[in-house]
Amino acid sequence: MAIKRLFIANRGEIALRIVRAAQALNIETVVAVSDADRDTAAARQADRAVVLGPAAAAKSYLDPRLIVHAAKESGCDGLHPGYGFLSERAILPRLCAEHGIAFVGPEPDVIDTLGDKLRARAMARAAGVPLVPGSDCVASAADARREGDRIGYPVLLKASAGGGGRGMVIANNGDEAEAGFHRASAEAVAAFGDGTLFMERFVPEARHVEVQLMGDGKGQVLHFGERDCSVQRRYQKLIEEAPCAAMSDDLRAQLHQSAVALAASVNYRNAGTAEFLFDVQRQEFYFIEVNARIQVEHPVSEMISGFDLVQEQIRIAGGAGLSVAQQDVVLSGHAIECRINAEDASRDFLPSPGRVTRWEPPQGEGIRLDSHMSAGAMIPPFYDSMVGKLIVHAATRADAIARLSAAIDDFVVEGVPTTLDLHRAIIAHPDFVANRIHTRWLEQVFLPGFGKKAA
Amino acid sequence: MSLEKDPAIQAITDVRALLDTLLSSGWQELHVVSDDTEIFLARKGGGPNPMRAIAPASAAAAPAALAAAGPETAVKAPHVATLVDALPVGTVVTAGQKVATVRVLDESETIEAPISGTIIRHDAAAGELVDYGATLLNIQAAA
Repeated sequence: MAIKRLFIANRGEIALRIVRAAQALNIETVVAVSDADRDTAAARQADRAVVLGPAAAAKSYLDPRLIVHAAKESGCDGLHPGYGFLSERAILPRLCAEHGIAFVGPEPDVIDTLGDKLRARAMARAAGVPLVPGSDCVASAADARREGDRIGYPVLLKASAGGGGRGMVIANNGDEAEAGFHRASAEAVAAFGDGTLFMERFVPEARHVEVQLMGDGKGQVLHFGERDCSVQRRYQKLIEEAPCAAMSDDLRAQLHQSAVALAASVNYRNAGTAEFLFDVQRQEFYFIEVNARIQVEHPVSEMISGFDLVQEQIRIAGGAGLSVAQQDVVLSGHAIECRINAEDASRDFLPSPGRVTRWEPPQGEGIRLDSHMSAGAMIPPFYDSMVGKLIVHAATRADAIARLSAAIDDFVVEGVPTTLDLHRAIIAHPDFVANRIHTRWLEQVFLPGFGKKAA
Repeated sequence: MSLEKDPAIQAITDVRALLDTLLSSGWQELHVVSDDTEIFLARKGGGPNPMRAIAPASAAAAPAALAAAGPETAVKAPHVATLVDALPVGTVVTAGQKVATVRVLDESETIEAPISGTIIRHDAAAGELVDYGATLLNIQAAA
């Protein structure tokens, strides 16, 4: 049954985004807030705001019982978890089901399976999705050489009991594999009391690509193209693009097919993202994991498809089927998003909460801003420091970069430092312009130079 | 206004000094009474709080009309919840006594009186979904 009143268990820009999507569907909205978020854009825009608890997330946004109670008692028949917080915790959809509330997301059992790395990998293997080439247990130095030759160098020797980089050695050839076996095994014994090793292909300059999926829960799954999120700092994405311009059309078709097959194999319901490592030299991709939620960077897929993913999420949770067929999903042009954080890039990205005194975002064709900010708005220190996402769409990647650069120039923010200057510098860098980047490019190549210039 | 002259800061400083005095002594408890302030500090296992012992006795003895002269204290919801029930207006309660019940899903939670006094007003009705920090009822301290 279609949802009539939707509870939004999140904050910031995504809470506002969900409120607007629901209102476009003529659905009433109730937003959950913490004590620190009483006066936010989402709370004002919604039909009602309910104060869960104090500012601390553990006592507000991370308490599933308070959330489901508030949803039920405020008369909601649907609940959208947004991203982060409890969005991928099976307890939330389980409690929703117990209390007759439609959860906007996958089944709790699917969330559990996808959250377990080993089970998710097994699921991918069963669906025929490529995984990073690797070995079973390696018993001797000679084994290590033989497996290394088979997998292809460079390879990573890893402690089977390991974690945190200990008992981990990179080998670039057979000799290094033999020597590395002795070293990694000794390290593993010292660290974990277990010298068992396995090997995996090491991709030194990988890109991060991911496929936007939407399933009806009955085996039918659509994709909305891929995104390239290779500009990362400490595994946090800073800039996302769609499509991945470094990928051939052939490989792109295979990537989409793999992602759809994976999601269809578990009758995936609602929005999800299959993440892959993309080895550009070899033109191969390997499965990483599935994110069982709407993602921060979903707008780039919306921009190239012209399709509102959040509205579709809400419709599907209300029991509707997919509103389009795959052949109706037409992808065009190029979109880029940058995440704007209230951080001081010159002080090691120190989060800088405070009051925004001036907020004048750019406007114009092909420019979209997803933000809950305005002049006078407060950025509380209790949560992540993202103040918005600036997204542009243009015919080509080069046009999109030019449009984004102009949009950043037109963006005036005062009161708190933001990462807008950082984004301006990244997209002007010759490596970014030529699309010669990888997931460690920002930290290894860009930031050392940026730090010097800033100092 | 300098921070040193702020009366609240001064009070905290004074209490800290008293606490230090107690902790560096061999005493079990410390009871200080001045013109307008009374404070009782005790180690774990120290004597009962004489200030608490007096309050319920006077509240119980005083007629409600006389008690309705002290300051009001709001009893607030500790988190979002549904108010199940509350003691009626006019009830004389002692600190720590149950004054209301709230519920989250199927779990009930007791709300206790923070002070001794008389319930003078309800700000929420039974069955109502109350926000974190919303006032459930008000207690007026015994004079």
